[in-house]
Amino acid sequence: MPADKAKNAVAVAIHRVSKRFGSVAALDDVSFDIMRGEFFSLLGPSGCGKTTLLRSIGGFEAPTAGDIQIDGQSVLHLAPYARPTNMIFQHLALFPHMNVRDNVAFGLRMKRTDAATTARRVEEALALVRLEGYGDRGIDQISGGQKQRVAMARALVNDPAVLLLDEPLGALDLQLRLQMQVELRRLQRQLGATFVFVTHDQGEAMAMSDRIAVMNSGRIQQIGTPAEIYERPVNRFVATFIGHANLIEGRVAEQRADGTALIDVEGLRVAGTAQALAAPGASMLAVMRYEKLQIEAGGNASVAGTGTSTLATVSEKTYMGAALRFVCRPGVGPTLTVDAPNTEAGRAICEGDSVRVSWAASEINLLAE
Amino acid sequence: MMAPEAPPPRVRDPYRFWRAALLGYAGIFFLFLYLPLIVIVVLSFNDSDATGFPMRGLTLKWYTRVLTTPDMLAAFANSASVGAVAAILSTGLALLLGLGFRHELRGKSAVLNLIIMPILLPGIVGGIVLLVFFGYLGLRSELWTTVLVAHVNYVLPFAFLTLYPRLHRFDRSLEEAAMDLGARPWAIFRHIVWPLVRPGVIATAMFAFTLSFDEFIRTVFVTGYERTIPVLFWLLIVDEIAPHLPAMAVVIILVSTAVSLAAFLIGRRADRSA
Ligand SMILES: Nc1ncnc2c1ncn2[C@@H]1O[C@H](COP(=O)(O)OP(=O)(O)OP(=O)(O)O)[C@@H](O)[C@H]1O
Ligand SMILES: [Mg+2]
Repeated sequence: MPADKAKNAVAVAIHRVSKRFGSVAALDDVSFDIMRGEFFSLLGPSGCGKTTLLRSIGGFEAPTAGDIQIDGQSVLHLAPYARPTNMIFQHLALFPHMNVRDNVAFGLRMKRTDAATTARRVEEALALVRLEGYGDRGIDQISGGQKQRVAMARALVNDPAVLLLDEPLGALDLQLRLQMQVELRRLQRQLGATFVFVTHDQGEAMAMSDRIAVMNSGRIQQIGTPAEIYERPVNRFVATFIGHANLIEGRVAEQRADGTALIDVEGLRVAGTAQALAAPGASMLAVMRYEKLQIEAGGNASVAGTGTSTLATVSEKTYMGAALRFVCRPGVGPTLTVDAPNTEAGRAICEGDSVRVSWAASEINLLAE
Repeated sequence: MMAPEAPPPRVRDPYRFWRAALLGYAGIFFLFLYLPLIVIVVLSFNDSDATGFPMRGLTLKWYTRVLTTPDMLAAFANSASVGAVAAILSTGLALLLGLGFRHELRGKSAVLNLIIMPILLPGIVGGIVLLVFFGYLGLRSELWTTVLVAHVNYVLPFAFLTLYPRLHRFDRSLEEAAMDLGARPWAIFRHIVWPLVRPGVIATAMFAFTLSFDEFIRTVFVTGYERTIPVLFWLLIVDEIAPHLPAMAVVIILVSTAVSLAAFLIGRRADRSA
């Protein structure tokens, strides 16, 4: 069992992997490590190379350059049937001519496991995914969520060192999808297995992962915990791909000793946290997430110069249920969108009202452009 | 009580004439298509030594003759056995070709066209080509050499055309899933591909059988002493208009139709479950 082995060990090492399809660079010099027992997600827009990377780990694509190691051994020369990985395919690829039990038993039978052991482990795997008693059902006699579980059982019964999952929840409706997210996470914790999970749904990646690799056009943009990626995006792509943010370009007006800086955006001063020191006058991008901004009615006395608030007029208000969205026009500078919790005070603010929009410098990221 | 509804005003159908004409055309079409068949069936029961009308009463004696004459039975056996072997060989080859063609190959479309081209060759040309070819090889005309080769050669492109779309539609991710679970290529074929394409392969083989069973033009060039049904039939027509010819024709039609129908049903079931 992977869980028995030392944690903090590298399960999968991706080293400078590139993959070209003709003139398309599906993967461009990708390097990172996935730790043992980790729930690791590959997140990115359609066509960014997630599936290609996953298939390269599983042995279905041969990288054009670079190396892939599993438990310290290069696996590039191994065919998929010889790799210690199992994959859950986007459309599950359950064998339609076999019943649930034979689907789950397939991997063990291919390894010539004896019949008694196979039968026992298949029942265990079915119990693990809560499908006891479904062994005799045909694949066309079970629901979408159950198919999902069969695919899980079929892979997990082989006790893979690494489980590869290619958007396995993509075809499910929202309710079932949320349910299966919890289920997957439970399985992963229970088994202590290494999961590499591909998704283009940021919420899903956030909710499930220990770490996320954000990809775009074949390159890794950022790797980190969900909080790191959300709170400290390293570039414009990550800032826009995950969550909603006002992206505002300005010039550094003042760099302070505490790591914060003040930038000037068309006359509006914005204080934020710079991830690297920037010279005065340098161009920077302020990432102001909608929900990191506060809005309050009235407000005439501005704390001028601190760069943590501005007076503005509400030009648009949208009721979104859990939140209220305000588009605000400050006296100077660009418009700011604010998501406020749905409270009585917030609901009282109307279009055309004068408001104060404020924020904490620690919540605003300043990125060098 | 509601007032009785007024009948809808009669609208003159502007296409009435054309509809009638079309109906007439369709009628004539089916008449030409099926009348000769019906005539043959009727004549096969005619108790008269001369083939043709008038009817002289009903009899089954022509069928008895067809099904008991040694010549006839030998020809049936020849046609059926060559048909079966040709069907198995050509379907097997088509299966291998089809599996191979799912991969990216250089010059794939050129090779595909080469395989299908013989369909365009007129049968008589095909027969002459084979005759010349076998002559060069010094092969004697025999059932299990020249005739079998000629039939496989003729049937293969059709078998390929029938089978290839089914193989092409096959979900590759099933094979990848099997490989991921530890199956090597042969195990993938045995446990995944074969069970799923088997109905299509069987339907193709039956179709191939009917093509071989009916093949005449090429066969007549390369046949030896062992005759197939169409060749025997032709000899009977050339010699004399034998009175049992209609009965023989009906038997041939029945065999071909039955096999084709079975192939169609199997194929349709395979497509539905695919
Ligand atoms: N077999 C192939 N031949 C040619 N190009 C390919 C092939 N597979 C992938 N590509 C290209 O490589 C790029 C990455 O594809 P990939 O399937 O890895 O994207 P993805 O991130 O999984 O996208 P999605 O979210 O839509 O599944 C795309 O531009 C795609 O068109
Ligand atoms: Mg993909």
